[in-house]
Amino acid sequence: MAESMDFLKSMSIATSGLRAQAGRMRVISENIANADSTASTAGGDPYRRKVPTFTSTLDRALDAQVVSLGRIKTDTTSSFRIKHEPGNPAADANGNVKYPNVNSLVEMTDMREAQRSYEANLNIISATRRMIQRTLDILKA
Amino acid sequence: MAITDLPMLSMLRTKMQWHQERQRVLAENVSNSDTPNFRPRDLVEPSFDKTGINGMHEISMVRTSASHIQAAGVSEAFGSNTNGGYETRPAGNAVNIEDEMLKVASNQMDYAAAASLYTKSLDLIKTAIGKR
Repeated sequence: MAESMDFLKSMSIATSGLRAQAGRMRVISENIANADSTASTAGGDPYRRKVPTFTSTLDRALDAQVVSLGRIKTDTTSSFRIKHEPGNPAADANGNVKYPNVNSLVEMTDMREAQRSYEANLNIISATRRMIQRTLDILKA
Repeated sequence: MAITDLPMLSMLRTKMQWHQERQRVLAENVSNSDTPNFRPRDLVEPSFDKTGINGMHEISMVRTSASHIQAAGVSEAFGSNTNGGYETRPAGNAVNIEDEMLKVASNQMDYAAAASLYTKSLDLIKTAIGKR
């Protein structure tokens, strides 16, 4: 009977959510860690902010829409922060240094959102677990 | 007649299956809560007629042979309701996590209620056959 596996399906779907959010956290921490990574050559481009994307894919084995981390793209729309530091090895001819387009406030907001979604998925798993427990209680009675 | 054919038990079983299926749909909504253009879904509550038979009529593609693969993404026995989601974010996602958490909690509690009713009904049968 296919229905008997439905609770495990719910758990697998929630796990796909956990995995995707954890991947998003990884990208966010990469951005924060590299918030001040300048170029290694004079006048070169520094670290560019990365943006995780999510896609909803049909898992044929589960017959459900699971989520997965799509391509990790780079943020090309926002501009680099420019500081005047003539002594910096990465400075161009005018003494300006390009710093990454990472805004720590934006990253923190994204991190909170990822955390919240992660907790929501965990909540699904524990709720499903309690439902399985109730089913097993029928046998005990 | 098998024990599971008793109207009371089969009603509870349908209800529990419905909760199980709904949990799956809610898990889908929550895990896709950050996917662009994803709209949340929910299941239509089962309705029972006087004899305790689930009055829902499924609409799904007919399988002409048992060896054919079932149409994916269509819930087998319960209708799905896609008009959920009243606030859509700029990315086109309409999942409201608080709303989904509420649904998950109520789904879990209703399931617990159905499961304990099932236990009580089994107790009733046990009393009838003189086990206690």
